[in-house]
Amino acid sequence: MKWITARRRHPLAGYAVVILALGLFGLGYAFVAPTGTDRAEAQTLAADKADNGQPDAQRGKEIFNKSCASCHGLTGGGSANAPDITDAGAAAIDFQVSTGRMPSMNPDAQMPRKPQALTDEELRDLIAYYEAEIGDGPQIPTDVPGSAPQRSDFSDEASYEAAKESYEQAYEKYISGGKDTEAGMKLYLTNCAHCHSWSGGGGALTGGKYAPEIHDASPRQIYEAMLTGPGQMPVFNDTTVTPTEKQDLIAYVKDLQAEPNAGGIFDLDRIGQVAEGFIGWTVGLTLIVACAIWITAKQRAHD
Amino acid sequence: MSTTPEAPKALRNIGNFIDDRFHLSKTGEKNLRKVFPNHWSFMLGEIALYSFIILIITGVFLTLWFKPSMAEIVYNGSYDRLNGVEMSEAYASTLHIDFDVRGGFLVRQIHHWAALIFVASLVIHMLRVFFTGAFRKPREINWLIGVAIFALAMVEGLFGYSLPDDLPSGMGVRILQGVMLALPLIGSYVSMFLFGGEFPGEVIITRLYMLHILLIPGILLALIVAHFMILWHQKHTQYPGTGRSEKKVVGTPMFPGFAVKAGGFFFFVFAVITGLSAFVQINPIHLFGPFTPTSITSGLQPDWYMGFMEGSLRIFPNWFDFDIFGYAVPIGVLVPGLVIPGLIFGGLAVWPFVEQWISGDKRHHNVADRPRNAPVRTGLGVAGIVFYGLLWLAGSNDILSETFSISLYATTWFFRIFIILGPIIGFIVTKRICLGLQRQDRETLEHGYESGTIQQLPSGEFIEVHKESSEDTVHVLQSKAPVERIDVEAVDEHGVEAPEARGAKGRLRSALARWYTKDNISFEGVEPHSGHHLHHGSHEAEEEATAGSSS
Amino acid sequence: MTDNNTNPENEAGADDRVIGTPSDASGDTIVAGAADPHREHAGPYPAEETHKHSEEEQRRGEKVASLWFVIAFLAGIGFLVAYFVWAPNAAGEPAIADPQIGQYSNMALGGTLALALFGIGAGMTVWARRVMPHYEVSSPYDELPSPPEEKKSFNEFFMKSADESGFLKRPLMRRTLLLAMAPLGLAPIVMLRDTGPLPGDKLHSTLWEKGMHMVVEGTDRKIKVEDLDVPGGMITALPYVEHSEENPHGISLNDKAKAVVLLIKMPEDAWGPDMSEQQLNWTQDGIIAYSKICTHVGCPAALYEQGTHRILCPCHQSTFDAANGAKVVFGPAHRPLPQLPLTVDSEGYLVADGDFPEAVGPTFWDAEKEA
Repeated sequence: MKWITARRRHPLAGYAVVILALGLFGLGYAFVAPTGTDRAEAQTLAADKADNGQPDAQRGKEIFNKSCASCHGLTGGGSANAPDITDAGAAAIDFQVSTGRMPSMNPDAQMPRKPQALTDEELRDLIAYYEAEIGDGPQIPTDVPGSAPQRSDFSDEASYEAAKESYEQAYEKYISGGKDTEAGMKLYLTNCAHCHSWSGGGGALTGGKYAPEIHDASPRQIYEAMLTGPGQMPVFNDTTVTPTEKQDLIAYVKDLQAEPNAGGIFDLDRIGQVAEGFIGWTVGLTLIVACAIWITAKQRAHD
Repeated sequence: MSTTPEAPKALRNIGNFIDDRFHLSKTGEKNLRKVFPNHWSFMLGEIALYSFIILIITGVFLTLWFKPSMAEIVYNGSYDRLNGVEMSEAYASTLHIDFDVRGGFLVRQIHHWAALIFVASLVIHMLRVFFTGAFRKPREINWLIGVAIFALAMVEGLFGYSLPDDLPSGMGVRILQGVMLALPLIGSYVSMFLFGGEFPGEVIITRLYMLHILLIPGILLALIVAHFMILWHQKHTQYPGTGRSEKKVVGTPMFPGFAVKAGGFFFFVFAVITGLSAFVQINPIHLFGPFTPTSITSGLQPDWYMGFMEGSLRIFPNWFDFDIFGYAVPIGVLVPGLVIPGLIFGGLAVWPFVEQWISGDKRHHNVADRPRNAPVRTGLGVAGIVFYGLLWLAGSNDILSETFSISLYATTWFFRIFIILGPIIGFIVTKRICLGLQRQDRETLEHGYESGTIQQLPSGEFIEVHKESSEDTVHVLQSKAPVERIDVEAVDEHGVEAPEARGAKGRLRSALARWYTKDNISFEGVEPHSGHHLHHGSHEAEEEATAGSSS
Repeated sequence: MTDNNTNPENEAGADDRVIGTPSDASGDTIVAGAADPHREHAGPYPAEETHKHSEEEQRRGEKVASLWFVIAFLAGIGFLVAYFVWAPNAAGEPAIADPQIGQYSNMALGGTLALALFGIGAGMTVWARRVMPHYEVSSPYDELPSPPEEKKSFNEFFMKSADESGFLKRPLMRRTLLLAMAPLGLAPIVMLRDTGPLPGDKLHSTLWEKGMHMVVEGTDRKIKVEDLDVPGGMITALPYVEHSEENPHGISLNDKAKAVVLLIKMPEDAWGPDMSEQQLNWTQDGIIAYSKICTHVGCPAALYEQGTHRILCPCHQSTFDAANGAKVVFGPAHRPLPQLPLTVDSEGYLVADGDFPEAVGPTFWDAEKEA
């Protein structure tokens, strides 16, 4: 401790303490703050992955009774803390389960995006059971590409590579098929950006709710969200926004998301002016003042 | 003195050429010998000056391509993603600067970052001047010019932000127009005249462009020159210290020392702003998309310096709105839009005169106050920072709500309550801290400083050895002005109140003066290192002996 | 700037130096300087106020400063190189139009420029701090105000001259001059009259009229009642305007800014008690149309939450209850969002049944009056 004692009256000691304290706060926050796992990338399976065997509604029933019925009821009629899902449709089931929001452990809070809890087969069985016994509603848009295949679902590298390639081709085809930027942009900016922000980064709603960011959402999930209106989100069915227009819209926002930041590698999460002002004050002014301190620092008479 | 080097012939010729025409040798030398006190906080105003220069240089470059036109076109240019999109020519020409002009993107980002730094440095420069009392007589005029520069800089920034006609920038104009419309009686006329018709019309960008590149920068330039000439004429204030007094300034002379330092600092400011512009993307208008009056994005914010306006618009409720004979008076727009900025800028402008009136201090001041030695002023300054800061934060309450998962309305209520409580708490806490520091100063002045060396006395008691402060420290500590009562407090030898102290105004003034000075710690009669003023305890004599022998 | 020093003491100084008072601190005279080798120099400032670096220190400083300047030079060359590296191709298409290349170009240009500027700044700082002597020069502040005799002399001169000019003595001339100025002073203000038209009732009316079709913004597809068949549905809509010679882009921005509506399909049992009979009549099959422009300061109040039926403006968070005539439930807005009367035409298309009953957009003085 001698080293510190000797230096604690140094003219720069105060600054050192402040910087150290700020650093500690930052580190502390990094530990305490919610980690990224809550919003981690979905590990959803491609629903249309090459697969043998038909969906099994009987197994779906088991899954439903185990994971869903406690809140939504055995017939899907809902309860005090969960909505009626008899007219939600397969698209809603696919959206909620593939984004990991369902099954939920906490029916009161808004569900963040999570890794999918069910396997892909389980999800298909569940949907088969839903369509057969529980209810009816918007269908899954199977021609819209879902989530990318995951390596862990494939036994060997080659089949994974093949699945990945075919997925990427389908994705590319769908996105580049959205030809009308003008329409896609107008539709996104007039109907989506007020909640999900111009960048798809999300935003605040009332009552502690928020519109989630949509960067991790697959085109199919975005499509399904529009069809079914999860949570507070309004419904944009295929008659108000046609499938072609939805494709334009999805292509617009996915293109925007994929575009590199021409202004530099730090995009400040595309939050915009608040982050820019923060950086201007903290990084910009601090560096300039540090230079001023260097220029004017006290010199001993003879050095 | 005989070794003065001969001036090079070319330089001599230029010098003679100028002197033949202007007779400048004497004034030239006098000005080159101008003394500038050394302290980093005296460079804050220079940051503003240099960013202004950077803004002019980069702004001129941008005007070479920018088209301030709202004509609607269908984009068909180099930037692929927006091909086929309807937009204004202003937006399209900004895309041209970004994606066709090499370095155009960089210059646009430098321009924007420099604008943020410009206003930020104005603010911290102003805070430095405020807290050190450097606005006092004879420098009140320069303070007023500074306040005007600050206000104009904000407007200048807002207009510049509006020019590219991208989604957020158009919304800034829309909000401006909405506030304008709220003005009783004249609102719709003012808006119609400024916009040449209804919103958005076809001329607003052309008009804002003129204001942004000609009128306001012209006024700003004139004010900045005046600010600098007055500074030059009156000479800079200085912090207390050895050899520094109200009569004499100590520092680096303009030539050669200060000129090189200040020149170097210009390059530093430019370098930091350029560095930010190289790596941190700012205002990516090509990603926002063009403005349409029907679209909006969440997380919409103005640049930081308009944040307090945005915040006050967000948190001020509509409870005081009223209708008079069916005519609407939206107080919820008028107060945040006009009254709050009026309070902030008006308050700043009148403060030097108010303080002078309260304290009756009409002397000249060249040595800066230490903030702790003017606790009420410092407290009010902190209250002002808290007020402004909370409004500023409130302007991003949706981002705060989303980032920290707090209910949106809860943030609004938090700011509604703390915009009143916060400044009061800030004032009280700051004043207490100042008074505590004053006591500590008196202690240090009398006893020297705690050396960090612990000694054990023969009695077994531990003491920390105090050492004598340096000469400079003593000067600094002694710079505290005596606790003053203004003249109106005085009664003459017959105990009769002075005439100025009578009447409501006189009593108010006396009360304010008491409030302004009553808690100050008096240093009267305190001799440096005299040691015994506050001593109680058995070890004092020992301590003094140790301190004495070590010096 | 030339007469910046009005202090007579300075003017009277033997060598006209502003500088030159020995600092209190040193206390010793110039003779004492000779004893200290550091102070033995013939500089422009008094020796006891400058602290010279030793020759060896200066040489080291020179080297460091020069190193910075060389770095700045190289970075400057790098900047020029970076400019020409990403040149347009033979067809004149800019390479930087690709955002990824644009990013590289921006970082290379900016990075080299920043380094060059920093190098010059750092070199100059090293130069000032390690090569130049360390100056602690003192200089007197001006005495304020002017001495009484100077003031008196000025006052006499000024008043005599003013008197002689006749401006004070001859009121007719003075007053007519001021009179002549008055209209000229007014002229610039009067001339601003043509900056824009008078408001009239422009702010009270929009493009909507009885029987007008509506389209989803961004498309030209007219909306039918059955298109919005799912409760909880919402869409931004505009009046349908045919593209024509004078309207190549369809509806103008000015018209859009006033006419844009939010169409919301409400569940059957959702209407609240504050909906008047008339307001309910203006809905069509559960579809209700509100102006999308916030009555606060004019942002699009677009954020519709289908669960709570709230419409939130993302700018200043005015919140309107869509199930209760869009009355204000939170935030700063002054009045509800105006509702557009809806009906259906014979072909099943959703059409307006007239204009908004009151002015849309930011609240102004006579916004709630009949046009």
